[in-house]
Amino acid sequence: MEEFFQQLTNGLAVGGIYALIALGYTMVYGVLKLINFAHGDLFTIGAFLGLTLLTSLGLSDHMGPLLGVIALAVMVIVLVGLIGFLLERTAYRPLRNSQRLSAVVSALGASIFFQNAVMLIWGARPLVYPHNILPTTAISIFGMDVPLVRILMFSTSLVLMYALYYLTHKTKIGAAIRAAAIDQGAAKLMGIDVNRVIALVFCIGPALGGAAGVMVGLYYGQISFTMGWMYGLKAFTAAILGGIGNIPGAMVGGLLLGVIEALGAAYISIAWKDAISFLVLILILIVRPTGLLGERVADKV
Amino acid sequence: MKKLIHALLLGLVLSLMMAGYSWAADTIKIGVQAPLTGKYASEGQDMKNIVDILAEKVNAAGGVNGKMVEIIAEDDAFDPKTAALAAQRLTTSGVVAVIGTYGSSITEAAQGIYDEAEVIQIATGSTMVRLTEKGMKLFFRTCPRDDAQGAAAAKIIKEFGSKRIAILHDNSSYSKGLAEETKALLDPASIVFYDALTPGEQDYTAILTKVKGSNPDLLFFPGYYNEAGLLLRQKMEMKWNVPMLGGDATNNADLVKIAGVDAAKGFMFVGPPGVNDLDDPAAKEFLATYKSRFNAMPASIWSVFAGDAFNVIVEAVKKTGSTEPAKIAEYFRTGLKDFPSLTGTISFDAKGDRAGKFYRLSKVNEKGEFILQ
Repeated sequence: MEEFFQQLTNGLAVGGIYALIALGYTMVYGVLKLINFAHGDLFTIGAFLGLTLLTSLGLSDHMGPLLGVIALAVMVIVLVGLIGFLLERTAYRPLRNSQRLSAVVSALGASIFFQNAVMLIWGARPLVYPHNILPTTAISIFGMDVPLVRILMFSTSLVLMYALYYLTHKTKIGAAIRAAAIDQGAAKLMGIDVNRVIALVFCIGPALGGAAGVMVGLYYGQISFTMGWMYGLKAFTAAILGGIGNIPGAMVGGLLLGVIEALGAAYISIAWKDAISFLVLILILIVRPTGLLGERVADKV
Repeated sequence: MKKLIHALLLGLVLSLMMAGYSWAADTIKIGVQAPLTGKYASEGQDMKNIVDILAEKVNAAGGVNGKMVEIIAEDDAFDPKTAALAAQRLTTSGVVAVIGTYGSSITEAAQGIYDEAEVIQIATGSTMVRLTEKGMKLFFRTCPRDDAQGAAAAKIIKEFGSKRIAILHDNSSYSKGLAEETKALLDPASIVFYDALTPGEQDYTAILTKVKGSNPDLLFFPGYYNEAGLLLRQKMEMKWNVPMLGGDATNNADLVKIAGVDAAKGFMFVGPPGVNDLDDPAAKEFLATYKSRFNAMPASIWSVFAGDAFNVIVEAVKKTGSTEPAKIAEYFRTGLKDFPSLTGTISFDAKGDRAGKFYRLSKVNEKGEFILQ
């Protein structure tokens, strides 16, 4: 039983990361009906930018670990958000009124571009975050040793997810985003600047991905230019699992996928871990084709 | 006139034969077949340089059984066709034995020619398993073969006295192969866990938790340094202190960077020694000579195996007092036991493979350095 709870916490920690990345997919999909395939690579860029800023500015030395990490996260969020904004301007906006397939191809192209750019700038070898920044202590919960960092990481994910939920559901900007998601034409007629809404979505989504990148870098220590592929795929799966286009759905999907993976590895087979996750995905989609929470539950205003 | 020509020709032939005989009587010829040009020219040149230095030393000390050693080097250019020609030239130049060569497929192209000409061949960088599975009586090698690492790992695990072993591989052909070879040599009852992880991921806590549940006293991970580093780090965060053993693919300084010194401390791996790890005094002295002459160390351990080959040939000629290939081969199989040479002790098994201790255990110390045990 102890092992079960241990695996549950393992799964929730990974799931928190998946959820954070999945939010970026789902937000963009909700508004534009576009799968932003470059999202996983924006996550990678976040991780690499974080490392560069951390080592070149010596943030944690000057400001102490906690403030340093927060400052780092803010900087990365701003920078990756900016990259997302530019991505939308250059790769997606010119194709807004063409066929959906063109935008998908453009997204794939952007993904390849980002991945190779990261490789050319930072090199093909995995890089390593400094070790001494985060505390390595573990907290004992019901007899289980859970590393403090995992708890911090999980709570940070939850805070960021709640912040996003608050933004989209309790603010005027959020109402505009949801309106644009339902019907862009009608939103325009209501005086909403749809282009600005889309630009905003393309800042927020990638920024969350970038934040996830920094968290992964800080916690796991090792980052490589291909890491976005695996996380992107898992997060995309999580978004579909929860119902793509639906923000609470992405959170539920991410956490659920993490837990399924951990329990699948624990009780069935480690080597078949991914196969099991995807089998569960298929089964859920057979029963609920729109994902667990269905599409656009959140759109009821 | 015709008679005169015949007489002259006969004289010429006789004198040539005499000359040939007297040559053979004066020196012991040892061939070196190596890629002196081409893609692996640096390896081949290192091989020849190493053998040359050793031969000079032997000759300076009075040679072998009163005879000087003569080295005849032929270039195989890391090309099977060139290798066949090189082998033919060497077999007709009266060599006792041939040292080389580097690539397995190149060795394979020359192997039959030496075997037919009854010349001993000692391959130095050819690790392909089947080379010694053909029943060639005069073929040996001083390098390990591809499946030797599993045996070495199994031996070390047994020496630890581990009763509950967890084996985790990464499903790559290298890693899975090594895991299976090792597993086959261990007591099946002692293996409490055997499964594969997905390389390229970052979170292995679910896997580690499961392995921990099987309560092993040793975790064997024959995979790459990336995953090994992450496993070590996450293992420490779980406060799980089980010792972990890796294979030669974990021999990379980045492992310590990924895991952090605290987590990497105590990690062990089985692998071939590097040139800088050769700690035998004679090997150290030899490498110093090499460095002073060529201003660099041999680039890899593979060329040093050519030096091993030379040493065992000289030893065999000394001990048997003969240059007959059959006698030397017999001595290699039955007489040569744990002969100390550059890369460790050398013995040959019945197939002609190196049987002496070669794979070594390294351990990460408190400073995160790899220390040969």
